Amino acid sequence: MTALRVAGLRKEYGGTPALADLSLEVEEGSFTVLLGPPKCGKSVLFRLLVGLEVPDAGTIELAGKDITGEPPRYRRIGYVPQSFALYPHLSVRENIAYPMRLAKAPAADIDAQVTRAVDMLSIGHLLAKTPDQLSGGEKQRTALARGLLNQADFFVLDDPLVGLDYKLRERLVDDLKRLRAELNATFLYATSDSIEALRLASELAVLDDGGRLLQQSNPLDAYHQPISARAMELVGFPRANLLSGAYADGKLRAGPLSFALAGEGKATVGFRPEDVKMAAAGGDGVKAKVLLVEDLGSEMVVHLEADGSSLLATALKEEGVFQPELDADVTVAVAKEDVRVFAAGAES
Amino acid sequence: MAEIVIEKVTKRFEKFTAVDAVDIKFRSGEVSCLLGSSGCGKTTLMRMIAGLETPTSGRILIDGRDVTSLPTKHRNIGMVFQYPVMYQTLTVRENILEPLRRQKLDKAERERRVDQMLELLDMRDLANSYIDGLDAGQSQKVAVGREVARQTAVILLDEPTTNVELNAKIQLIRAFKEITSQLKQTIIYVTHDQTEAMTLADHIALMQDGNIVQYDEPHELYSHPTTTFGGWFLGNPGMNFLPAERSGDGLAAPLLAQPLPAPADLPAGGELRIGVRPEQIRLAPAAEAGTVSGKLLERSINIAGRYLLKVQLGTSGVTVKMPGRYDGAPGDEVHLAVKPADVAVFADGKRLG
Repeated sequence: MTALRVAGLRKEYGGTPALADLSLEVEEGSFTVLLGPPKCGKSVLFRLLVGLEVPDAGTIELAGKDITGEPPRYRRIGYVPQSFALYPHLSVRENIAYPMRLAKAPAADIDAQVTRAVDMLSIGHLLAKTPDQLSGGEKQRTALARGLLNQADFFVLDDPLVGLDYKLRERLVDDLKRLRAELNATFLYATSDSIEALRLASELAVLDDGGRLLQQSNPLDAYHQPISARAMELVGFPRANLLSGAYADGKLRAGPLSFALAGEGKATVGFRPEDVKMAAAGGDGVKAKVLLVEDLGSEMVVHLEADGSSLLATALKEEGVFQPELDADVTVAVAKEDVRVFAAGAES
Repeated sequence: MAEIVIEKVTKRFEKFTAVDAVDIKFRSGEVSCLLGSSGCGKTTLMRMIAGLETPTSGRILIDGRDVTSLPTKHRNIGMVFQYPVMYQTLTVRENILEPLRRQKLDKAERERRVDQMLELLDMRDLANSYIDGLDAGQSQKVAVGREVARQTAVILLDEPTTNVELNAKIQLIRAFKEITSQLKQTIIYVTHDQTEAMTLADHIALMQDGNIVQYDEPHELYSHPTTTFGGWFLGNPGMNFLPAERSGDGLAAPLLAQPLPAPADLPAGGELRIGVRPEQIRLAPAAEAGTVSGKLLERSINIAGRYLLKVQLGTSGVTVKMPGRYDGAPGDEVHLAVKPADVAVFADGKRLG
């Protein structure tokens, strides 16, 4: 069943469309992640959904009911905004309870709900503290608890982990997946971090500037079957290599590489860093220079330059795998099966 | 060249202990990264080396000289911050040159150092550009170069890449590696980013709650963490930890088909856990000797297209990182194997053996 249906949604600021014409469906019970670059319109969409702003055109349907013109308090949508926005003079307990107090909920209900929310997020020991006594992660959990307290079954979470330490984000990613399941709710979650998106999403919607929806699918298909060069670039880390190419003599040439692919005119060639095979200099393939090797512990990200083109490659840090070194020359090769070809000029 | 010795250094802010009796020697001519989460004390420790904070107790020696109560300007150190103060109306060349004028260097030496720095930074083309026309990454490169050119004994950097976008960050890290491999100054580099630390450091000092929990070469820190914290902090994602218990002469745990020989230093009590990195768990095609079976709960794509599997093993869960793609479906039975050599044993968070 469709939990949320957005059709033809448009919002402009000073003549510039922040959302040009967005149509999107979110399945009930899904963890749908909107992945897009910063300022692609994700936050604007959320503000329209919760009713903090009014769209210039388009409709919003929640559980089959048109809520486009409804005031925020009648929309049953839980909202976790990007910034913590905690009240500095209130305790954690009161910060979490605040929306329910505003709504004049009975005290017993508030207590029960707060207890449930803090248990889910393991912050029960913090209830008496004030925000200035909390770490970044504790603040974020408090904000999450407040957003999740709302007795809704549809939640929008606007990049709630941005700016937190990497390790903390890793832990909260697991928390969030578990929370969605425990609440048996639908989550619509925005991020510009590709790995976070791939780990969280049951459904991935790839957005570009102006809120343009490039692709919506399960995350594995988004990674392996990108619909366009731009979608390929936005999904996956390290980002995909994209080169402009042209067909000639039964080959597709792109930068230093050439593939036995027939066609006419120009094309954009995309391939993932893990599909760039590196070997010692002098082998079959293209000569490249190693500009930088980033050490991720179990993988390395290798920044290469080949004949004026920048390439990104990855390699496992394991015995038996070629380990490129800084400033060395290496040979690179990309198999034609690992290449995706997109029509030139239709990058997005 | 200068060794930095930290002797029983503690820093308290009212009731909060930011740095707790830290003892460490930062090696001369090396890049040491202080790595840890926000609030672990890494910036406070750096600021005490800089002379921007005074230790509550303990001593700091640079090159054998006690500098604990010496003002910053007498410590012979350079510093680069997240938001460096640059001369916006001067060119790149002038920004590097200006601090050298205040040192008693002759003109030829000043010019030589500026030229060398422009070369190392790969910024010859931008020598006469004004700072306010540069992007954040280029500007930060100049800030690093300016401090390095002074050739102070020690250079301290506090998260210099935080406000720099990814491409420029790569440029900055490359320039930094180039500089440090050539000039061999003693560098303390503060970061919360494990990849940056692993990429840049000769040695990493991993910090937690005001303590240095391990000081080691990056690969050693990754492969042989001495604490569960280290195993968790390094890695994408970090180590799996599973409850272990004594079983005859050995240690039994989920994931182990056979009990491990118990380490010689196994304590009588305490919480025992085994730690295994996700990439060191192998998926076997079928149940066989040495494998344990579990249920695949979910799969997702991680860095470099590697599939991450969550597997239920009895009441425990483990994360497995595949070399690449994996086509099995959630609900499938999977068979896992680990090499005993890849299994670490921890008692109350500390590594045994």
